[in-house]
Amino acid sequence: MGLVTRIKRIIGIAYLESRWIKRQPLWIFQGIIGSIGFILILFAWGHLEALKNLIAAYVIAGAWSQGLNIVAQAIGWSRIGREYERYVASPVTLADYFIGIILATSPFMLISLIPATILAIIVGIDLYSFLLLLMLIPIALTIGAFLSLSIILRIKNPTNISAITNPLNTFTIVLPPVYYPLTIVPPSLRIICLIMPSVSLVEIGRWIILHKTACHFAYPLLIIIIWLIVLTILLSRRLKWGLE
Amino acid sequence: MLEAAIEAVHLGRKFDNVWGLRDASFLAKNHELTVLVGPNGAGKTTTIRILTTVLKPSKGHARVLGMDVLKDYEKIRRRIAYLPQDYSVPWDVTPEEYITWNLVIRGWSLYDAKDKAREWLNLFEISNIKDKPCRTLSGGERRRVAVAAALATNADVIFLDEPTAGLDPEIKQVVWRSIREIVSSGASILLTTHDMREAQILADKVVLINNGVTVIEGEPKELINSLPYKYKIVIGKSKFINLDDLGSFIDLGDRVILYTKTRREAINLVEEIDPNVKIHSMGYVELEDAYLYLITKGENFGSSNEN
Repeated sequence: MGLVTRIKRIIGIAYLESRWIKRQPLWIFQGIIGSIGFILILFAWGHLEALKNLIAAYVIAGAWSQGLNIVAQAIGWSRIGREYERYVASPVTLADYFIGIILATSPFMLISLIPATILAIIVGIDLYSFLLLLMLIPIALTIGAFLSLSIILRIKNPTNISAITNPLNTFTIVLPPVYYPLTIVPPSLRIICLIMPSVSLVEIGRWIILHKTACHFAYPLLIIIIWLIVLTILLSRRLKWGLE
Repeated sequence: MLEAAIEAVHLGRKFDNVWGLRDASFLAKNHELTVLVGPNGAGKTTTIRILTTVLKPSKGHARVLGMDVLKDYEKIRRRIAYLPQDYSVPWDVTPEEYITWNLVIRGWSLYDAKDKAREWLNLFEISNIKDKPCRTLSGGERRRVAVAAALATNADVIFLDEPTAGLDPEIKQVVWRSIREIVSSGASILLTTHDMREAQILADKVVLINNGVTVIEGEPKELINSLPYKYKIVIGKSKFINLDDLGSFIDLGDRVILYTKTRREAINLVEEIDPNVKIHSMGYVELEDAYLYLITKGENFGSSNEN
């Protein structure tokens, strides 16, 4: 009975929070076109080797962006519009709410997950490695969302949340070595790049599917653990489920 | 049987270094409608946010259905529903989807929830727009959807923060009827309003908060009786009247509300007023008059020569 009730709560939130898709299906379409275009560009310049690197980047960047940009925006707007309060004063728990929001915003991740899966089949990544790579999704999504929320919830009266999360997404995904390999960066600067959690995550991903990285595997792993701990502490001081 | 649905004792809440609520104490009985009134910034919404376990009190304590808001918040949340102030339903859902899925979230089956949603859409006279996205509805229609979703929950205690703000008088009456029916069926409701007529008609009990402190609580009639006047006359202001001769009054610019203690006094006043002065209305004092008197401690009531 408890599990069924919990599932109802999660599905209910996911349903109500996902209705935007009806109004803005072109967002998804635009994303898919962008992904396909990106695959063609990379293939033209770097052939299969480039596409192999792209698989981990797509999976991590997709999950990271969903957490950092979409989930954080949904939660941020929900707090401003007082939907959040309405859920607090109900049987919904923070976990139900968070999972519901993730489900509601997951169509965004499909934009990069579907091309990544097709690419994995084309370049012949083994199923076990690919499934292992997919296990990084909840971690990337959680760190992305926690990082974004830790920042936006500290800004008093934010007028436009996307004006904060969009640049943050570009800064953490486009600029650092996520879509391009860390090996391009001079060895002395690699550890600095790894401090960016998106870079560390994609390095772990590359190690999982390509079995090679630009640094020792322990570095990105340690950095991700530290980020998770620090962000959980930072966020727990701001994102409270009632009794604020 | 539990007597109190809500009990607030010396409740206070500080925001940074400012007290948003200083000392609110009141009791809302079970199966009754209690109305919180007070000026903007008085602390009504803060009180509701504490009682719904959204905010933690900085001082005092509160119980909902006998449960402590700090210790038993999870149990309280299972038995309450809350409509926040200025809340607008999400733009992309339809009214039927919104009410239905909010009930599913509370454990209802999809079938029962849909049934209930349709029942409330009918009650609130918005079944004709049930499939339209909420962004295409008027502000009043969106508010009705939000109120219906809160009332449809069958929660034991329902908190409504200004549920009828911005609604037309005829729609207000539809909402009032539903609110009273919910109370008659056994729920307890705490609502806030700036509409004193609404409070006077709807409330079993009125709690007046000013500057974060409870000023008075009681039945609307008790609050009206606490006013030292029984009658009021609204007259146009002109050179033919000297306000100092008129006893207690509120100056409204080109009009004046005069207050009298007895019917005889009221009649005498009307008879004595120069025929050139227009008398707009006469009647008994109402909750709004009591509210103004209590909020201003009588200071607003002109240069009274009777007090």
